[in-house]
Amino acid sequence: MNRIEKTLAVLQEKKEKAFITYMTAGLPDYSKTKEIIKAQEQAGTDIIELGIPFSDPVADGPVIQKASYDAILGGANLEKTFACLKELRGGGVEIPVVFMMYYNTILHYGLDAFADECKKSGVDGLIIPDLPFEEQEELLEVLAGCDETILIQLVSPVSAGRVEKILEHARGFVYCVSSMGVTGQEGNFHKEVINYLSHVKQVSGVPVMMGFGIHRAEDVRPMKDIIDGAIVGSHFISLMRESGFSAQTAKEYCTAFKKELNEL
Amino acid sequence: MNSKAYYGEFGGQFVSESLMNTLEELDAAFEAAIKDPEFMEQYHYYLRQYVGRETPLYFAERLSEKYKTKIYLKREDLNHTGAHKINNVMGQILLARRMGKTKVIAETGAGQHGVATATGAALFGMECTIYMGKEDMQRQRLNVMRMEMLGASVVSVESGSNTLKDATNEAIRAWAKTAEDTFYIIGSAVGPYPYPKMVKEFQSVISREAKIQHKKAEGKNPDAVIACVGGGSNSIGMFADFIDEKDVELIGVEAAGCGISSGKHASAMALGEPGVLHGMKSYLLQDTDGNIQLAHSISAGLDYPGVGPEHAYLRDSGRAKYVSITDTEAMDALLELCKLEGIIPAIESAHAIAYAMKKAEEMTETQSMIICLSGRGDKDVNTIADYLDGKGYLN
Repeated sequence: MNRIEKTLAVLQEKKEKAFITYMTAGLPDYSKTKEIIKAQEQAGTDIIELGIPFSDPVADGPVIQKASYDAILGGANLEKTFACLKELRGGGVEIPVVFMMYYNTILHYGLDAFADECKKSGVDGLIIPDLPFEEQEELLEVLAGCDETILIQLVSPVSAGRVEKILEHARGFVYCVSSMGVTGQEGNFHKEVINYLSHVKQVSGVPVMMGFGIHRAEDVRPMKDIIDGAIVGSHFISLMRESGFSAQTAKEYCTAFKKELNEL
Repeated sequence: MNSKAYYGEFGGQFVSESLMNTLEELDAAFEAAIKDPEFMEQYHYYLRQYVGRETPLYFAERLSEKYKTKIYLKREDLNHTGAHKINNVMGQILLARRMGKTKVIAETGAGQHGVATATGAALFGMECTIYMGKEDMQRQRLNVMRMEMLGASVVSVESGSNTLKDATNEAIRAWAKTAEDTFYIIGSAVGPYPYPKMVKEFQSVISREAKIQHKKAEGKNPDAVIACVGGGSNSIGMFADFIDEKDVELIGVEAAGCGISSGKHASAMALGEPGVLHGMKSYLLQDTDGNIQLAHSISAGLDYPGVGPEHAYLRDSGRAKYVSITDTEAMDALLELCKLEGIIPAIESAHAIAYAMKKAEEMTETQSMIICLSGRGDKDVNTIADYLDGKGYLN
């Protein structure tokens, strides 16, 4: 069984919600990336999204854009992120890791080589914001038969008429974007967010996670009975920057969020 | 896979899920509009009465005499706002109105597409926002002023490299947030489907006119058609009606900047590898990590790291040939056209002229070619002055 699916099955059994964070790989450097991942695993974060920096992150708001840009200037890339993850896995880190990346990075690396390396490095899932359902064929072909790495599907408040086909073969979880536009918008969920999430939940055979614009567990109170978990990206990165990328801060934030999320 | 979105292996719709329904709605509206005689009549009315079409196909006497072949210039520089960009803007803005959108946004590099969009928005009383890289705003202050005079607000984009590529990213982000009431007018033959098709449709008036004009003058098709290629809007418009005329050689001219081997160029097809940017799969300038590289050209309009997907397809299928011209070659050609014909071309268009001068060597006196003179050079006077002073140049 895929590591993400295993983790989510355990949570479901315990009737707990999942807490997922996003951070940009290699920001400010890989030793900090490793420290922060380890701290989060200890704090009870369920899944980590690791952003592979790209020069043109068109689905991201200012915080992740800057994180991506700084990471590239610091020398971060796909190859080094694979190596970083391999090292963590070798050291016993078992938390599911999802690479969030843009499609060009994969195409440039080569589809077959990429799928192969994901498997070897312990990449459990992929989120590719510029690869909508209609363009996934090529990638799904190389991932077929590879249970280790799965493609996570995204849906948006304006996906009407598309949710069913997108979710038909979805694995792991479905990433529900809370608003139109880009990552990291301040608490402005789409006006139809509750109806939209309810519809996705009804259709989905996999757990439903919500992301974009979430800062604290309290933010998802209105949809606590619908969703199976929350994703924090831009806010987590800002928090890390402010604390000088402190593993202790990461640990405290994640512990508190996870606890509050399950007490909503 | 949505196969109609592809030109061979190029094109597609590589956008976030939030935009997929928007693209489908746009595609349906566009297809219906171009089949509606009333819409097309309206479009041609504005091209005639407002833009000033048709533009002449001018027989360049002295140039032809010097280069010993018949050279015709398709005078897109004589359009309102000074370039071919307005052809496409009129089409897209009429479509936006038809779709009930009240706001338009656009990206711009040098400012020509921004000015054309602001012009159209003023004409139809629509709210207009132009995204422009911070660097480009400093280099092209005159165009920023023109856009503001026309009532547009110009947003300074400060991310990544602060140029056209980043302005396009920002326009896509803004669009993803506001697509419910906002129409994104893309200026080049790039972007997710149906944009490449739409831009071609609204620029194909160039070749439709030129083909008839040339036939009237020479009684036959031209032997060659030459146009400069950045993203590729004037060139796809110049090629469109000749693609099925197999006796016509199609030549696209990219910017070689300081030379392809210098690494400072904007020729996506010379060394480029296929990749995905701005919603499309096409040839792109990339570094060893697959990050998009900055393009370099003295001409801001050709300073783009990618190229429209249909051009990538025309190249691979062998139907069109793509070559490149350096900054120096383009500037020499620009100055020569000024002196020989009394026409100051845009530096972009000068790339096509420079290659035409080379091409003429293998042509006879009875053969003929059409060069797309995509824009006028008034906007480039500062750059030209700096170049002549040997100070280098701003772009």
